[in-house]
Amino acid sequence: MMDRYTKLQMFGIYAAIMVFLIFILLPFFEMFMASLRPLEHLFRSPYQFWSDDFSFQAYSDMWVTVPLLGRYIMNSIFIASMVTGLTMIFVIPAAYAYARLDFPFKNLTLGVFLGVNMFTGAVLLIPLYRVLRTMGLLNTYWAMIVPGVAFLIPTGIWLLRSYLEKIPRELEEAAYVDGASRMYTLRRVVLPLATPGLIVVGVAVFIGAYAQQFLFAITFNQKRELQPLPAGLFEFIGYQDVTWNQMMAAALVGVLPVMVIFLFLQKYLVAGLTAGAVKE
Amino acid sequence: MATLDLHSINKSFGTAKVLHDISLAINDKEFVVFVGPSGCGKSTLLRIIAGLEEATSGQIVIGGQDVSDAHPVERGISMVFQSYALYPHLSVYENIAFPLRVQKLEKTDMDARVQRAAEILQLTDKLQLKPGQLSGGQRQRVAIGRSIVRNPKVFLFDEPLSNLDAALRGDMRVELGQLHRSLEATMVYVTHDQVEAMTMADRIVVLNAGRVEQFGTPMELYHHPQTKFVASFIGQPNMNLIPATVSDVDGTGLKVTLDGGHQMVIPVDTLGVQKGDKLEVGIRPENVTLGEDGISVDISVLERLGGVSIAYGKLAGQTRFCASLPGDVNVKEGAAVTLTMAPEDCHVFDASGQVLRRKSAPALVA
Repeated sequence: MMDRYTKLQMFGIYAAIMVFLIFILLPFFEMFMASLRPLEHLFRSPYQFWSDDFSFQAYSDMWVTVPLLGRYIMNSIFIASMVTGLTMIFVIPAAYAYARLDFPFKNLTLGVFLGVNMFTGAVLLIPLYRVLRTMGLLNTYWAMIVPGVAFLIPTGIWLLRSYLEKIPRELEEAAYVDGASRMYTLRRVVLPLATPGLIVVGVAVFIGAYAQQFLFAITFNQKRELQPLPAGLFEFIGYQDVTWNQMMAAALVGVLPVMVIFLFLQKYLVAGLTAGAVKE
Repeated sequence: MATLDLHSINKSFGTAKVLHDISLAINDKEFVVFVGPSGCGKSTLLRIIAGLEEATSGQIVIGGQDVSDAHPVERGISMVFQSYALYPHLSVYENIAFPLRVQKLEKTDMDARVQRAAEILQLTDKLQLKPGQLSGGQRQRVAIGRSIVRNPKVFLFDEPLSNLDAALRGDMRVELGQLHRSLEATMVYVTHDQVEAMTMADRIVVLNAGRVEQFGTPMELYHHPQTKFVASFIGQPNMNLIPATVSDVDGTGLKVTLDGGHQMVIPVDTLGVQKGDKLEVGIRPENVTLGEDGISVDISVLERLGGVSIAYGKLAGQTRFCASLPGDVNVKEGAAVTLTMAPEDCHVFDASGQVLRRKSAPALVA
């Protein structure tokens, strides 16, 4: 593709990208810096950007301070994976139905789904608490998984539906004429073609699930060994003091799996978000 | 292989009626082309035959069996789509084998059928490729391959050549004709291109605004168009239509005065025509010659194609006229020429667009 921008415009674009990147990444950088300092140096005045006693001590100490840290990280990944898996199981047929079938109240229900997205979980915490208590799910993994799935299904449907709509209808008609059932067509034709879209939706749901755990975990779960990382980080707040450096180290280690997934799937993400923009 | 009969097919989308009472009887092993301008309902009719759309009313009978409510597979049809509709993630082999996989056919049987289709379509060395690696013509062949492995009773084609370039289209026309002969299958083919219709069809269905204008052999449509619409749709360049007034009616024919004052007697049935009626006289561009006695046309554009020269101009300052003249004809753009036409080559259409039957027309080519 031709470079359509002048040098000055390119400079402007990169400057703008830089500002936003700094805005987003600076907290991570600060987390990292904080995790490297001994605790007593964190509150030193005046603030020192560079000190010569950086160490990775906090990264090994944190496992001692909070013995269940590994468990928390695994819980986080487990809960997010379960939420993602279950959400996809519900989202794929639903999104396909919204993309292809005609049924009463189609647009209305889609609107309702969008509306649900506008509530945060926080508004519904108390009713949800009652529901989960009635169902006897409090203090189980399900207490964090079920609401997570419920809140992510609408987003998933909206994302995947628009992707599925881009798959040419004639492909499905051809399969239908050749005798394939809806489910067979979905499995053999639609889903393979929608793989990039599925990955995009899957990653979006996983990230959503990872981020929303905190609220559900501190409300619906009292059991220490079931807590995900965001809730588990509370244990770095002691009666006497807060071990900030270890907390930052733990948070970074906890975010690491998501980042790895992101890097790994980046090419699909980009492909998915720009799909259909260019004629193949 | 089988016959295909349509009985009073109607189709409405909401309040819009797109097909009006269509009845056709298509013979076994016949190649029938549905032709008409965009929006005439030809694709909808094909999709109804395929079972992709449901007719609002009417009956579809294939091989003597009423299949109006049957699934496409039970109907015994297969369809080739305009966009080919190949599955881009599957190899050519898997694309062709798709209908057989759905049927859960045995591996050896499936292999044999796919190989046979590939041989017919010269795709044997392409079976492991993905559709994206093929040229337009090859993709088209894969789509056809997928439709023939199932041995359907009726093949349906929805404008299959419209995505190909002109040269390839010509080649594929010939190939499809050969395929039709070798498969001895009943085929229904939809196109908006009257050249495809004329060259490939055993019989042509001309559709206009959801109605069948005429159903007949290509030469029948060419020599005996029943309506003005068919007359102007079939034939390239289009038939000229000259407004005229009836000046006398007698046993030999119709005496008319054409726009511009030229008078002639045309040998057609004159039933119901009266002196003073307004009519239109149709003459094909290839049926006029330069001459002494005839109509005067102001030529504005001359296209020299080599073998022929197509002259475009106006008759009596308002009626557009087109003449197909010899290649090296001595005519200048901007000059007026006198064109002669034989009365027996003329078609006459009444005010409602219906033809007055010609008494002396070329014998029909079977």
